[in-house]
Amino acid sequence: MADLGVMAILLGMALSAYSVIGSVIGVKIEMPALVVSARRALYMTMVAAFVASGALIAAFVQNEFAIKYVAEHSNSVMDRAFVWVAFYSGNEGSLLYIVLALSIMSAIAIWFAPKRMERSMPWTIAILAFVQLFYFFVLVFFASPFELIDIIPEDGRGINPLLTHPGMFSHPPMLMGGLIAITIPFAFASGALISGNYADDWVDVARVSAILAWGVLGAGMLIGAWWAYTILGWGGYWGWDPIENVALMPWLVLTAFIHSIMVQKRRGMFRMWNVALLNIAFVLAQLGMFINRGGPVVSVHSFASSTLGIIFLSFMLLSLLFAFGLFLWRMPQLKSNRAMESFMSREAAFLVNNFLFLAVMAVTLWGVVFPLFSDLARDVSVSVSAHYFDRANGPILLGIVLMMGVGPLLPWRKSSARSLKRWLAWPLIFAALTVIVLVALGVKRPIAILSFGVVAFTAASIMEEWWRGTAARHRSGDNWAMAWWRLVNGNRPRHGGYIVHLSILMLGLGIIGTNFYQQRTDGALALGESLVIDNYRIEYIDSDSSSRSDRIAQWADMSIYRIDPADYADEISFARAQGSDGFTLKDSTRRPNDRLIGQIQPWHGFYTDFNMVSVRSGIRSTIVEDLYVIPRDFLADGRISLAVSINPLAWWLWASGPFFILGTMVALWPQPVLERRPARSENKIRAMATGDL
Amino acid sequence: MASRLPFILIGPRALLAKPAAILLVSMTIAIFAATGCIREDDLTLEQRSHQLAGQLMCPVCDAQTIDGSNAQIAQDMRVKVRELLDTGITNAEIKEYFVTRYGQEILAAPGGSGFNLIAWIVPFFITFGGIGIALLTIRNLRRSNARSAELAGGGPGVTTGQNDLAEYLAQVDIDLGISSSSASGVAGPEKPKSNDEAGS
Repeated sequence: MADLGVMAILLGMALSAYSVIGSVIGVKIEMPALVVSARRALYMTMVAAFVASGALIAAFVQNEFAIKYVAEHSNSVMDRAFVWVAFYSGNEGSLLYIVLALSIMSAIAIWFAPKRMERSMPWTIAILAFVQLFYFFVLVFFASPFELIDIIPEDGRGINPLLTHPGMFSHPPMLMGGLIAITIPFAFASGALISGNYADDWVDVARVSAILAWGVLGAGMLIGAWWAYTILGWGGYWGWDPIENVALMPWLVLTAFIHSIMVQKRRGMFRMWNVALLNIAFVLAQLGMFINRGGPVVSVHSFASSTLGIIFLSFMLLSLLFAFGLFLWRMPQLKSNRAMESFMSREAAFLVNNFLFLAVMAVTLWGVVFPLFSDLARDVSVSVSAHYFDRANGPILLGIVLMMGVGPLLPWRKSSARSLKRWLAWPLIFAALTVIVLVALGVKRPIAILSFGVVAFTAASIMEEWWRGTAARHRSGDNWAMAWWRLVNGNRPRHGGYIVHLSILMLGLGIIGTNFYQQRTDGALALGESLVIDNYRIEYIDSDSSSRSDRIAQWADMSIYRIDPADYADEISFARAQGSDGFTLKDSTRRPNDRLIGQIQPWHGFYTDFNMVSVRSGIRSTIVEDLYVIPRDFLADGRISLAVSINPLAWWLWASGPFFILGTMVALWPQPVLERRPARSENKIRAMATGDL
Repeated sequence: MASRLPFILIGPRALLAKPAAILLVSMTIAIFAATGCIREDDLTLEQRSHQLAGQLMCPVCDAQTIDGSNAQIAQDMRVKVRELLDTGITNAEIKEYFVTRYGQEILAAPGGSGFNLIAWIVPFFITFGGIGIALLTIRNLRRSNARSAELAGGGPGVTTGQNDLAEYLAQVDIDLGISSSSASGVAGPEKPKSNDEAGS
């Protein structure tokens, strides 16, 4: 398999090199046949990438430990399902995966590209092929997954234990695929610029491919957060780790892009701006690849490899020079042919939203580089982690959520103060009521109350839009469900966007709840003992263990009871006096109002070859709060050491996922031809106007 | 009543031009004001110890706080934090205790003084600079709208003939858009085609 794989990546490199050269020369000497053959060569790189990937997967399936990559990332007892994960779990394999993903996406994009883009296609193909060439080049010369070892080991080292989780089937491929997918819209826009096709032909295809990249990247990050929540055993889901940040930054810029590209599509404005956004997103994606592979920043989960660092840094700088050189060269031709009419227009709101997204991106980038900066400037090492990012980015993110409520209420071009007031009234009333109710319920923490208010405002503004639009259609004869469906169907980009906005609000609820109201306690329990936190009692019933050649696993059976704090008044006041939020009980006898509400099985595994611990937290989840039990350690004296937390609203974090994907798909679904109806009342005009982005 | 407050803020016509800016600025001020409202003594010692654990890095791990790490030293440090809290000292003093032993690197976020202040000021400039640029851009775009004819000829490197036409057609579009908006709304897909013919 190694020989086949090596041949395939060599062939892939040759084909992509041919595709670059063929496209460029073919256009320059005006030889259409050469251009066509270059295009076909790009299709063939996909075949080469498929063969190489197939060879590596086959090597995993057959346990070919003569191949170093296979020996280092799998073993004979590994569950076969994880072959797919093992494929991209290391540096070399993940590079092969990236080139596979890019070649498939390139082929699809070229195949479906609209005919009117014929003139710029050779340049688009040359850019796509060049990026593929780079990855094949790295695979061939610096990071071959098919390298052999001299002494063939009896068994492999096994897969990294942290990766044996269902989330890992989709999180890394989606993240890497999403990052590299940014190449597609970038190549279309740049191709159009080089060829001197300044019309907006590239807008539709760039928008669709950018939304795809954005959706995949966003869903990948969410799945990664879920993975971290269930397996990493620190009770969190987003750590502002450098690797997470480098995936977030291009996603933020793409978010700005998929908003502002609508302005270009609808109003012919922001042309320079949109190209610049794509350029920034592409360069940031390359920055991500660089930091992931031996960049200068420490992270929990990167592929440390110092030799590759400099290569990826060079490619990132090359991307930067190319993208912005091209931009400056063609800038004069990108002038908008329309002007802004009012601050109170959707165009203006989109521009403000764009700058807010860029601000989060820039602050994040600043946080990532500040330790380097401090090292260089004064030789003092500092750390920048979640504690910084939460505080620096939190307010801007809240501002974005607020804009999410205001922006869609503004029509294109301009609006009157009167109509805006009318539209803002209900969301503002609802937000005010939310705040009043929260304060009345005794919720403390002004920032959290403010955040809930903003989320309520934005949710109400989306609901108001849907309500008015649906009601208008209902009055003209449709039943409610049909009316809403017609409304959404009438303008999918807009209403798909609203569904995504709702998912972001759900995410926001989870973030606010877990950040501001998490309760935690630590404790160690012997069999039969209980730990009490808030109105939960967790009783340690039983433990069990199993060992395999690569790991020793232990797990505990625990019962969760809902308690009445009055039954435990003495213990609670004693714990409070000591400054603790929870306490342990030697005697687990049930008290009158204890009610069994669930069972959990926290799991703790030690992987000898990796000298690494991997845990599965015991989670009891409801839409109000999660009870989250981390088994920190099984102690020598038979006790289990636990970190327990109550994570309010954590369920909403994961519930947002399906809505995010649904909204993205609705926005992407090809737009049907709109039926026009005569407008009757002002309300209806407004409903139709808003039903139509 | 409470819902009227924002109306008062953005009510006067002169201010209406910048509702987004005003909302954002007032919100940011509110957030910063609110941040100051949480006092240490509102929290239990256990809450403070978790809070502190999230603000101290694990010295032997890559990019993890002692809160998130299971390393032995992280566990020891968590115990130490709790011991120090029981003596009744402030969060700042506890952080100082670790900084003198491990250096600045032990803090999960740069401190708020001296050189480290830059870490905190820059985001502020980025945010308000960004919003400022956005608002200025909108203003300039509006000006260019008012004087579109003059500007179209005057921009550097602009090929005048086509752009004049483009500006003209754009103006026609705008005018038609306004006059037709009361009749049929601004609904219906605009044909970008007309721009393309003019622009390319």
